[in-house]
Amino acid sequence: MSEIRRLIRPVPILLALVIFVAVPLGLAQFGKGYFFQIANLVLIFALLAASLHLVAGVAGLLHLGHAAFYGIGAYVAALLGTELKLGFLWGLPAGGLAAAVLALIVALPTMRLVSIYFAVATLAIGQMIHTVLLNWVSLTKGPNGVLLFSGIKLFGWAAKTPVAIYFVVAVVVAASIFAIHRLGHSYYGNALRSLREDDQCADAMGIDTVRLKIEVFTLSAFFAGIAGALWAYTTGYVSPTDFNFSNSILVLAMVVVGGLGSLPGAIIGAFLLILLPEVLRGFGDVRNVLVGLVMFFSILFLPKGLFGEVSALTFVRRHFGRSQNRVPGGEVGW
Amino acid sequence: MFDPYYLQQLAIGLSQGVIYALMAIGFTLIFGVLNVVNFAHGEIYTLGAFVGLLVITALAPPLLVVVLVVAAVGAAFGVGLERIAFKPFRRFSDEASLKSRAMRESTLMSSLAVSIVAREGLELAFGSQMQTLPFDQLINKPIALGPITIVTGDVIIFAVAAVMLIGLQWLLTRTRVGLAIRAVSANPLGAKYVGIDTDRTIILTFAIGSMMGAAAGVLVGLYYGAIFPAMGFVPGIKAFVAMVMGGLSSIPGAVICALLLGLSEGLATTFISSNWADMVAYGFLIVTLIFFPQGLFGAGRERV
Repeated sequence: MSEIRRLIRPVPILLALVIFVAVPLGLAQFGKGYFFQIANLVLIFALLAASLHLVAGVAGLLHLGHAAFYGIGAYVAALLGTELKLGFLWGLPAGGLAAAVLALIVALPTMRLVSIYFAVATLAIGQMIHTVLLNWVSLTKGPNGVLLFSGIKLFGWAAKTPVAIYFVVAVVVAASIFAIHRLGHSYYGNALRSLREDDQCADAMGIDTVRLKIEVFTLSAFFAGIAGALWAYTTGYVSPTDFNFSNSILVLAMVVVGGLGSLPGAIIGAFLLILLPEVLRGFGDVRNVLVGLVMFFSILFLPKGLFGEVSALTFVRRHFGRSQNRVPGGEVGW
Repeated sequence: MFDPYYLQQLAIGLSQGVIYALMAIGFTLIFGVLNVVNFAHGEIYTLGAFVGLLVITALAPPLLVVVLVVAAVGAAFGVGLERIAFKPFRRFSDEASLKSRAMRESTLMSSLAVSIVAREGLELAFGSQMQTLPFDQLINKPIALGPITIVTGDVIIFAVAAVMLIGLQWLLTRTRVGLAIRAVSANPLGAKYVGIDTDRTIILTFAIGSMMGAAAGVLVGLYYGAIFPAMGFVPGIKAFVAMVMGGLSSIPGAVICALLLGLSEGLATTFISSNWADMVAYGFLIVTLIFFPQGLFGAGRERV
């Protein structure tokens, strides 16, 4: 009985049902490609927020240049597609890996910094990458951006309809978020939390904090690069303005509004801050003000976020973790 | 051998640096006391410029009056900003929450949210296009100075920055108010225990810092002749960079680094291209952070 209950966990199944059945069915009712565009955008930003959650929430490092790595992924995927005619299957991992490699290179000298110095360093790195994207005209076409006409093709199957594209995005995002979730709730994730709580203490206990920081920064950039590649393939157009400082801040706002340190919170934050401007489209120009106000009041009245880490942890423990229904002889939960 | 062209570029870079310095002074003052980064400082600067536009179009008073009015309005904005974005997060005044990262990040995000609201509100009211200021009020009459040419604005901005810096140093080191500010900056809880009204000191700091930010905004607006709602962003980032390079809490350090930044950007514009000038500033920042992690003027100094 308990074995069965262990296998059938309601929340992941429910989430999968919503993402893969309910949303496409519901959107197909409206029959407009536009709604699928929004759904893709929400999923991509959910992945972005989840990847930033790994650095900002779990490891507690204030990262102000995340959009730049997202941009690297998008540009690498788009340029591979247009210049070298390599398809989605190459562009997706290449985007992630390029972002990760770049993150590793910039992380090696800068990850010894702490607190506000770290934040400023990431801000500078993000701005530098943005400047390069904007001004290396011979490669990135500068402010004009890159148009990517080749759609998503997988092993001879081309995702042409909005539903098919949505499914590709949803699968990639779900798999990546699952990976981030497992990573966050492992011993490795706990080591990262120790960085956040007290990095000097963690150092004294034998945790190599600098190495951990470099690793988590690189990993997070990898997932941001994946999100960037998805963005390039779903919109078919990348330009430097999509990857500027205000986008880094937008992603950070998602993580903070949702609750620093909680993965469900980050995803909820992404849903809220992407869908809100769309829902408020009827309000015309006032909507950006309203988004700012929502951000402000959610910080003011919910300082721990909509779905803070502690409630997120009990939630996760109940539905995902094994620590509560531990089997004799089984491994200790996370 | 030494081309006057380069001297001219140096002068342009220096005047750019003075503009950054003007911004960095208020930024550093607020950071030094509250230990939080005030992301809304750039918007105070923009608001200052727009208030200046309104005052000039309505009354067309002399420059000094414009600057004084804008500074007063800026101080009011600063107090308002403190009230809505910072005060609610000072409910807990014990040492742990004063130092906690969550508190610091929540004020960072709340000031950011306020800045978004302010910027979008301005775009709603004025549109995101450039607004031109009346031509006869601009401060860009050229002055020939040997082989190079500067404009009146350079002199005025330099003078204002110098007055601000010296006045602030005097205020901080010679007056009781300054003493209170420095005490709160060194240890908020300790300051409270010896009977300093920390709330009032913080509000005062915001008022002074924002006054300077708003005055900087109107001067720069008059210097370039055009203002727009997003104008505070780039100088805000540069002031941030200068503040960090200067060691976060040293105002003279921030000013010197702002001048260095402006100069290096001017040189980069001359020798590479203006598009890549930003790279130099950020590169400087990274190099500073790696080799002088305390900033160029930070270590071994009293805070503020």
